[in-house]
Amino acid sequence: MSKAIEIIDFSYKYPDGTAALAEINLEIQYGEKVALIGPNGAGKSTLLLAMAGFVRGSGSVIIAGLQVGRESMAKIRTQIGCCLEDPDDQLFMPTLFDDVAFGPLNMGLDAERVKVCVASALQTVGLEQMGDKAPHHLSAGQKRAAAIATILSMSPEIITLDEPDGSLDPKNRKNLVKLLIGLSQTLVIATCNMDFAATVASRVVLMDAGRIVADGSSERVMSNLKLMTEHDLEVPRRFA
Amino acid sequence: MHHAYIDKFAYQDSVIHRIDSRVKFIVVLIFTAVVISLPRTSVSILFCYAVGPFTVLVIGRVPLRFTFKHILLVSPFVMVLAFTCPLYDRTPVEIAFGPFVGQSTAGWMRCFTILGKFVVTMLALIALVSTTRFNTLLAGLKRIGAPKILIIQLGFLYRYIFVLIDRVHHILRARAARTFRYLGLKTELKIAAAMLGSLFVRSIESAEHIDIAMRARGFDGNWRTLSTLKIRGTDYIFLFAAAAFVFGLYFFVQPVLR
Repeated sequence: MSKAIEIIDFSYKYPDGTAALAEINLEIQYGEKVALIGPNGAGKSTLLLAMAGFVRGSGSVIIAGLQVGRESMAKIRTQIGCCLEDPDDQLFMPTLFDDVAFGPLNMGLDAERVKVCVASALQTVGLEQMGDKAPHHLSAGQKRAAAIATILSMSPEIITLDEPDGSLDPKNRKNLVKLLIGLSQTLVIATCNMDFAATVASRVVLMDAGRIVADGSSERVMSNLKLMTEHDLEVPRRFA
Repeated sequence: MHHAYIDKFAYQDSVIHRIDSRVKFIVVLIFTAVVISLPRTSVSILFCYAVGPFTVLVIGRVPLRFTFKHILLVSPFVMVLAFTCPLYDRTPVEIAFGPFVGQSTAGWMRCFTILGKFVVTMLALIALVSTTRFNTLLAGLKRIGAPKILIIQLGFLYRYIFVLIDRVHHILRARAARTFRYLGLKTELKIAAAMLGSLFVRSIESAEHIDIAMRARGFDGNWRTLSTLKIRGTDYIFLFAAAAFVFGLYFFVQPVLR
């Protein structure tokens, strides 16, 4: 496996001077499914934004061998798909089809190829009959799946997801877990749900106060009661 | 979400729904321009013009109750405008409606003309949005050369107006859950201002997130969509029938009724 994401000594401060991320060093290999866990305000979402080049600080962020910077952004954004926390922010077009086609069209694909990408992405998330629906006609679970389809249609090698299980009922969460486990891409998932993280990810990065405090296999990190409690987290049921 | 959508009948299927959005838009535009340009004394001809959108609504299976409910919803502003007319123009005029002849004032005539034009043009507008999916309407506007920025803004307006309405409902519900009595005008206004402020801040946050979502998918300022619009024979028939109706009434019936 080679490096999909490499972050070296990355630090970032909010405009008011508050440190959001401090001395982040992280390597993620292609095909890995990694969960970023930590309490609220730990810096998980900011780190995901840094990976997609939306947050610039000191240090280096290298995505698919390309250093994040103004010149490389167009290329990097075809390599990394960024799925935001609120699907209503992710789905901004009048119909689901238009939304899923938005990325491929901006990549310069021709109309026939775009249709194939859209059909394939919608089929992967189980919404193949919903293409002509307006996003406000979808349920919460469908919106979440649709948000992932908007990324899948661009066929990125890496996908980042911010709290993808938020406000989902058990059935929809189960469907989402099945979908994420079935994806072959490198996944980086920020979540506060320990059971969800333990089920989907094989590796866990624990963050607190903008720093990485633990990094290892899900079982090793999440079964450590002392470590989890120290950082206001709970041990998932499967490791309890 | 529990609110009714203005376009909820646009997802049905009928002959009218299948007509190209560009054709429907141009017809409604011309129809509206012609109705607005009618002389202010022509009240009877408005009944004839109402037949057009009324027929489209019936064929498109858009319930009239839904139509008139939405006309009523947007009517207060026009009503204020219309009902002030009798106050400042009291010139006596003779009115005729078929065999009935009577006396009124120019102000009342103007009032009824404004209300009549409003109802007839709203019927046409509701017929358009209730039989045309918004995305195809936007695609049509784009194809007939409407400014790119207008298309983008309309697209966002349509997409986020429902999200905004939902947020307003949530805020009002949260307020109602913690309000047990009237707190006086000053306090109530203060609370309303705080609620509006919260809505504004959340809207800005959402806008920032949407910007991230768009740039993450390669948005560079060009709005690209796949358009599948195609003018067919039925579209030409509709266009011809609509033109015959609008201009027939204007050039042949209106002069007789005046």
